Amino acid sequence: MSGIGPVEPAGHVEAHTEDDSDARPDAPQPDVIGTDSPRLTDRWHTLTPRTRTTVLATAAATLAAAVWLLAAPPPTTPPKEPSTPWPSTTTAFHYKGVADPPATASTRDFRFDVSVHDGPPVTVWDINAAPAGVHTSTTPPTAFTVRAGTTHHITVRITVTHCSGLPLNVNLPFLDVTLRNTHAIQHYSFIFGDRYSRDLSELLHTACDATRALPSPHVQPEVRVLTMWTRRVPAKPAESDLPPSSPSTTS
Amino acid sequence: MRHRSLVILTSVLTTGALTLTACGSRNDNKGGGSSGKTEVIIGVDAPLTGQNSATGLGIQGGVQVAVDDANKNNLVPGVTFKVQALDDKAIPASGQQNATQLVNNDKVLGVVGPLNSGVATQMQQVFATANLVEISPSNTAPELTQGKNWQTKKVRPFKTYFRTATTDALQGGFAADYAYNTLKKKNVFVVDDKQTYGAGLAKLFTAGFTKAGGKVAGTDHVNTGDTDFSALVTKIKNSKADLVYYGGQYDESEKLTKQLKDGGAKVPLFGGDGMFSDTYIQTAGKTAEGDLATSVGQPVDTLASAQDFIKKYKAAGLKGDYGTYGGYSYDAATAIIKAIGNVVKDGKIPSDARAQIVDQVGKTKFDGVAGPVAFDQYGDTTNKQLTVYQVTNGKWKAVKSGTFNG
Repeated sequence: MSGIGPVEPAGHVEAHTEDDSDARPDAPQPDVIGTDSPRLTDRWHTLTPRTRTTVLATAAATLAAAVWLLAAPPPTTPPKEPSTPWPSTTTAFHYKGVADPPATASTRDFRFDVSVHDGPPVTVWDINAAPAGVHTSTTPPTAFTVRAGTTHHITVRITVTHCSGLPLNVNLPFLDVTLRNTHAIQHYSFIFGDRYSRDLSELLHTACDATRALPSPHVQPEVRVLTMWTRRVPAKPAESDLPPSSPSTTS
Repeated sequence: MRHRSLVILTSVLTTGALTLTACGSRNDNKGGGSSGKTEVIIGVDAPLTGQNSATGLGIQGGVQVAVDDANKNNLVPGVTFKVQALDDKAIPASGQQNATQLVNNDKVLGVVGPLNSGVATQMQQVFATANLVEISPSNTAPELTQGKNWQTKKVRPFKTYFRTATTDALQGGFAADYAYNTLKKKNVFVVDDKQTYGAGLAKLFTAGFTKAGGKVAGTDHVNTGDTDFSALVTKIKNSKADLVYYGGQYDESEKLTKQLKDGGAKVPLFGGDGMFSDTYIQTAGKTAEGDLATSVGQPVDTLASAQDFIKKYKAAGLKGDYGTYGGYSYDAATAIIKAIGNVVKDGKIPSDARAQIVDQVGKTKFDGVAGPVAFDQYGDTTNKQLTVYQVTNGKWKAVKSGTFNG
């Protein structure tokens, strides 16, 4: 023991045991400072050999267990149940090209692959080519369901119905789709690059270049199809779930 | 006998103490070198004070969460990661000084940032010279990855530069389409802040809007830091525009929209990701209602992968707006950390580590909190998602999201 403090009168005699062969009664007693309780070593020497062996064995076993526990990889918490992804995060549309031959001068078929890479099946409720002045229909017709790990080949038929105000050079053409899975219904846009832009612009030019010279908006007969399509919308059960101005909402 | 027993007891206790000490240090995040691990720094450059600091702090926070996760999960054995965040104040010269400071620190093996495209232009060369990888979670100017002539011939200018945000080439076109085809706006007044990001975005929006058939009712510019827009408000009102498009940051647009509405011009203001901040709504108040902004990615609340990130961000009490670039910052930092994991083994950093890490980042492929993370040959993200938001009842509400599959 070391430290600063008053030196107490010596008087304490170190305890001896019968088995302590190193103890010499006549040996000079060490100075003892303070009145500390017996030290660990003091206590240790009071133990019988059998007790010491037992203590050592227990300590060794405890230490081995502690080392094993700490060295082992941290316990892994059971993986959380993954939450269901939103349909737009698992669905992909890829443009594959124009289907030959063109149906009419104002109509063309475009091929797309629809795939779902993960999660629950996704139902494609609606596909629309967005710009006012065109009508869109698909084969197979919506709604159709795509399961994870599968790809559906679809054809989107775009028919020009109004040329007035229709941009003929499309920069970032997209398909507006309505997707649904067990988690949500989402309106979502899949935007396509140069190839689809070129093919769509070609259709728009073919359909409208000649009619742009006309004094009034040119309306083609296909507008009747658009009207019919509009009437079909309320019949779709999922549509009633959709708020009128919000493109995405939880179900 | 007494001595022998003491020796055994002491040995057992000493061995145990040493073992416990060693084991306990494995997950010590703060120990760095003292814990026997190699300390590696992920640098951050962003505006942390002043202009744009709400989004800048969101970047710093996103990186911090990623680094904490990496340390906690022992993602790179033998390495303890730390964040060193430097404030560029949205000033290009400050960004360049920060880049120099970061490359001169051998412990820095990757940098996340900056926020502003204009700042990035002054940092790219510094990082390229030092072979230090840089991933911006927010730069959207196309020329940063595809060169000045990106519209005619794409050439990657710096192999060390990557980004997790998609470009204004998409953002401007997406906004233009929404303005013309969905909002049915036909006359737009275009304003920009003359900065690389703002002017570039305004130009791309204008190109898309006019290509779709819209008309430009007028154009004007502001300076960053301007607060009085009364003359501009008069111009906009006289132009009879039915929409104002603003290329720039929220710091100016939040004041512009307030003065615009207070001045009697009831037309919405539409901007890019630089305007998409809660601070915009807080400052503009009710006058922000109906205004719009595009931003990169999908809304974080629709991404199941982002929920854990949001929880950690909030639990850590981190400042800043995590909603804009926080997820992308987390993914940028994780891409760097994973690359470091492929290069630094058992805490040993090879002499050409920085160059190797650049190569590894180029091969990145994992599912991040904001979606799949991978880069194309230009260093651009392959995850090209965009969302249009509109201020509705005092909050940004997603009104249209899209993915580019070019």
